[in-house]
Amino acid sequence: MKRVNTMLAAWTAATMVFLYLPIAILIGFSFNTSRLNIVWQGFTFDWYAAIWRDAVLVKSLENSLYIASITTALSVVLGTAGAWLLYRYRFPGARLWQTLIFVPMLVPEVIMGVSLLIFFVVVRLELGFTSIIISHVTFCFPFVLVAVQARLAGLDPALEEAAMDLGATPSGAFRRVLVPYLMPAIVAGALMSFTLSLDELIVTYFTASAGTRTLPLEIFGRVKKGLDPTLNAISTVFIVFTAVLVVTTEFLKRRNAAPSSERPGA
Amino acid sequence: MKRAHFSVAAVLAAFCASYGCTSQPEAAKEINLFAWSEYVPQGVIDGFTKETGITVNYEPYASNEEMLAKLFSGAQKYDLIQPSDYTIEALIKEQRLQLVNWDRVPNFKNIGKEFKNLPHDPKQQYSVPWMAGSVGIVVNTEKVTDPIKGYNDVFQDKYKGRIVVLDDSREIVSWSLAALGKGPNDVTAQALEQVKPILARWLPLVKVYDSDSPKTALLNGDVDLGVVWSGEAARLYAENPKFEYVLPAEGAHQFLDSLAIPIDAPNPLGAMAFMNYVTRPEVSKLISADFPYTNPNLEARKLLSPEELANPASYPPGNPKLEGFRDIGDAAVAIDKLVTDLKAKD
Amino acid sequence: MRQDLTSFDGGTPVRRRRPSVAAWLLIAPLLAWVLAFVVAPTLIMLVYSFCERGTLGGVIYRFTWDNYAAVADPTYLNIMVRSVLFSLLTTVACLVMGYPVAFYIGRAPEARRNRLLMLVMVPFWTSFLIRTYAWVTILKSEGLLNSVLLQVGMIARPFEMLYTPGAVIVGLVYTFLPFMILPIYTSVEKLDNALVEAAFDLGAGPLRAFSKVIVPMTSPGIAAGILLVFVPALGLYAVNDILGGGRVDMIGNIIENQFKGSARNWPFGAALGMTLVVAFAAALWYSGRRQSHTT
Repeated sequence: MKRVNTMLAAWTAATMVFLYLPIAILIGFSFNTSRLNIVWQGFTFDWYAAIWRDAVLVKSLENSLYIASITTALSVVLGTAGAWLLYRYRFPGARLWQTLIFVPMLVPEVIMGVSLLIFFVVVRLELGFTSIIISHVTFCFPFVLVAVQARLAGLDPALEEAAMDLGATPSGAFRRVLVPYLMPAIVAGALMSFTLSLDELIVTYFTASAGTRTLPLEIFGRVKKGLDPTLNAISTVFIVFTAVLVVTTEFLKRRNAAPSSERPGA
Repeated sequence: MKRAHFSVAAVLAAFCASYGCTSQPEAAKEINLFAWSEYVPQGVIDGFTKETGITVNYEPYASNEEMLAKLFSGAQKYDLIQPSDYTIEALIKEQRLQLVNWDRVPNFKNIGKEFKNLPHDPKQQYSVPWMAGSVGIVVNTEKVTDPIKGYNDVFQDKYKGRIVVLDDSREIVSWSLAALGKGPNDVTAQALEQVKPILARWLPLVKVYDSDSPKTALLNGDVDLGVVWSGEAARLYAENPKFEYVLPAEGAHQFLDSLAIPIDAPNPLGAMAFMNYVTRPEVSKLISADFPYTNPNLEARKLLSPEELANPASYPPGNPKLEGFRDIGDAAVAIDKLVTDLKAKD
Repeated sequence: MRQDLTSFDGGTPVRRRRPSVAAWLLIAPLLAWVLAFVVAPTLIMLVYSFCERGTLGGVIYRFTWDNYAAVADPTYLNIMVRSVLFSLLTTVACLVMGYPVAFYIGRAPEARRNRLLMLVMVPFWTSFLIRTYAWVTILKSEGLLNSVLLQVGMIARPFEMLYTPGAVIVGLVYTFLPFMILPIYTSVEKLDNALVEAAFDLGAGPLRAFSKVIVPMTSPGIAAGILLVFVPALGLYAVNDILGGGRVDMIGNIIENQFKGSARNWPFGAALGMTLVVAFAAALWYSGRRQSHTT
């Protein structure tokens, strides 16, 4: 077991190298004097300074974060509820609904974008944050749903029944027994959802308006001119910020938390 | 708030009356600009807003078709769009543009004669030229020592796997038409049959298809020559003069992107004010600085730096007269299928 | 038949209840959402796929079978098959690469688990475009990988990696790896520790322990991961454009071309999309049917 664990740790480390290699380049190039993000020429902090002058870029990052947060919240609610209800109850046409839910994952984004655009026009919804969030949730929540469903498969029904027997109401059983059990899947779904929404380009193009530009749209718009290192700089700032946030949260949690739930025998 | 609007409108009406323009009240103080992503520097937008107080809601797009998709969906009403020449032709045919009141765009006189009254807008009623350019050959002269004068020089077996071209089926077909001695708009079924063998020979030699940033592959040294937009070539030349730009001997074509006002624009007067603003020489100079295409504004050219004017991709020596793309209607489908089929044969 | 090893009584199938009024009320928002934002737009596309092409894009409302006839062309069918193969390859690669990582993370102590999960996700909160262009920098002839290999002496001349199908697979695997790791992680995380230890201690080598015991126990996560990688990978064309040089068209490229390229043929694009959806839905439906037989 120990030997297997070491091999697994090595494999994971190697995978991390794979995952972070382009990121290292991205961060490295944010200090590149050459404007075209292609060959290295020299070291500079200029691009970080440029971020603050680029109000449009910063606003687009704000918009993206706002949209991604709301999208994730809604997707988690829809996805978890959907997965649980479809699992627990025998709804007529469940298989049909299940397949329909997967359609947004499958449909090429261009088609989704155009059809949602036309749909919004037909129902007279003005393009803006609402239309973008709706579009994002539509293809993000299936990811949450699938993750939670995978976790539900093989759920010992005795678990829920025991919770009910011990006096909890159905909703209490759901909250106090099921949700903690599903938490890793919910977290996984939320992470996927956030990631997808943050980086979504094509559907967003069709459902956004001039005032609701997102970061990917802004970046894609600059491809022709050359992806200048300001974009690398803002990405680096974002990563560093996230890392700091995670470390701080963990530090605070460790200070306040009760002993963490260790697995028996682990 | 309402009273302020009213008095502004009154002042403008008086202003308009004294200058003989139509007495439409000035709409909301904003315009919706729908333009190519690389064409409108933020500085130009900010300058316009500072001077006129009109907010510019700028939405970029990356292809004519994307623009048309959103325009026709009716989801948003735009005041200004920036179509290419053949798209303007089609829009005029479909009666989707409104006439420009030239009294409101006096700076239009700065635009060179050779960019006016072109076939897509023969009476120059609907559009204000923004930037022109050509599609031609760029050569990394350090890697390619033979003289390259035309398409047939590019698509030789010895350059197999070293060529980059635009990922645009209409463009690709137009080059093969030129090699046959035909114009870029001769896209009859017969002509397409004739170009098939040429393209069948050319396409397997191509390493990269890229319309967004063909300069990447050239700068990386993964390809040595290619057929790209003149703006890309100009960028490459500015980066390193080893990248030469050549207009193909068999025949090149130019493109002209212009500002136009959709028929349902909410603020056409604001749109025309913007048109007038960007045709000012010092503003147009900013646009050139941002992306080195061919500036049709002759007064602006006088303000450009010697390096910019010396860039052969931006301002080809001899100022050759080139044909433009016309609207080809349904032939676009056949062209797309033709190129897709040939690409798939790899 | 899926073996359910987590419940010791040999796998009691879930006894689904008939939905109560409360259950209907709870699922109503989901159903409404799907109706409004999945079914309605898909119907719009369906209608479009039977329309005629408009000159400036868009459609003319006249019925025609032409678009589906065009789909049946061997060129496009070939491209669809090729796209499926690429997706399959990507999925398998993600599975092989990602499973050990998911297993390691799922069994790590809780604090480290969350940290590792974040480590996996954070690279994907950067821009897809910049990330993929970074791969261009790594894989190009004068790029990072070639420089390293040349210096170490493993190769004599730069190895051509960029603008090949291999580069596209690398890019696709990179894009989708977290979507394989996360679902598998959720299955691994609930594995009973005692069971895992037992699997390894009872004399069988680690490979058999994995294949006979652990992998089947995590099969729901694996299935989820496969779904969440294979399906979206079919439609992704940007990686093909940037890392593959746009030379070999995937079905996503073709469809994009109909809407955003010079073809301006929305009905045909819609027909292609509908074909994909129907083919996939049929596959999903059929596989669901086979599983429900055993419940």
